[in-house]
Amino acid sequence: MSSAESTPDLSPVSPPKSSSRGRWRSIGVLAVLALAILALLSQGLLHSLNYFETVDQVLAKRASLGTEVIRLEGVVKPGTITRTSSGASFVVTGSGDHQVYVVAHGSPPQLFQANIPVVVVGHFTTATSLTFDGTQILVKHTASYIAAHPARVKAPNGSVR
Amino acid sequence: MTKQLFPRLLGPVTLVLLALTAWLGLWVTPRDAVQGNLVRLVYVHPAVAWVALYVSFGTATIASVLYLWKRTRSIVMDRVAHCAMEVSVVFIVLTLITGSIWGRPTWGVWWAWDARLTSTAILGVLALGYLALRRANDDQALRARRSAVFAILAAINVPIIHFSVDWWKTLHQGATVFTANRTLLIHGLMAWTLLVSFLGFTLLFFWLLRARYRLEVSRERALSVSLDEALTLRRREGAF
Repeated sequence: MSSAESTPDLSPVSPPKSSSRGRWRSIGVLAVLALAILALLSQGLLHSLNYFETVDQVLAKRASLGTEVIRLEGVVKPGTITRTSSGASFVVTGSGDHQVYVVAHGSPPQLFQANIPVVVVGHFTTATSLTFDGTQILVKHTASYIAAHPARVKAPNGSVR
Repeated sequence: MTKQLFPRLLGPVTLVLLALTAWLGLWVTPRDAVQGNLVRLVYVHPAVAWVALYVSFGTATIASVLYLWKRTRSIVMDRVAHCAMEVSVVFIVLTLITGSIWGRPTWGVWWAWDARLTSTAILGVLALGYLALRRANDDQALRARRSAVFAILAAINVPIIHFSVDWWKTLHQGATVFTANRTLLIHGLMAWTLLVSFLGFTLLFFWLLRARYRLEVSRERALSVSLDEALTLRRREGAF
């Protein structure tokens, strides 16, 4: 046996090259994620940074709005809700005496009731009308949480005394 | 002794707090005047979101800053940032899911493209991007440095999410706890239950982080051992 055969070569060797396929796959994933962020920014922030317009804002620019589809926000006026076969009609109010009559189609959300803020997706029926044709009602509930009082008596008409 | 006591108690205390949250939230706390029984989701969703945005993403960001700062730079900081970000992804996904479950009966929709929801979804994608970036490089030091910078840049989104409900008009309601005028908008037993849920989910994060960190250390050790074994084997082969 020669000395070259008996002595192993233990000199340091360079580390094996990392898998270039794996790296490219990761870069591909990063590119997809970057596109996802751009899509989210485009859809959510650039098109609807302000998700709705208040009754006051809408009435202030009523003439220029025409029958454009918008999201209208206001508080449901008590005593104005009428359930219809296709949905509900009601009045939403802004500040002062600003108000818009809404005729909405589709079933309203579970929390829909008087005095609750809502966002209605839809458009005015004509270029000059103050009747809003809603295709969807979204309830914008407040951040306050107040305990209900189950001990109170419920009247036959559903109101709590 | 004390050093070992805290990790040992972390799991049981977390379980007790989460069980207490479930008991208080489902059976003891009253219904809400407007939301009725739907209010019980308030003991889950805000606490999960708190952990996702502030606790886990915050931990990942702080660890990243400490890694980039030369005086505190160590592999431990890199590991903590990595593990916290992985846990953060879980909590961000849970935030979006619990928010959707709550949104459907209250708002009337599973999802709305408002600023709060969209910016939270973007945070989730950024967290996934962080994890993808870590896999794109085999060099430990370079990977740690790049991902630390990425985490810090991604963290800019956290205050945007927090203030989105104040800066823009969103369907998502404003703050209940962290209000601008420090007024708590939830009262009595509901507020105490909310506090217990925040504590419980925060401890759950640290429990998961610890478990993930230990797993990472074991994985690195296993890799190191297999390298040593391979070298020993090669030496033996050379001896014969």
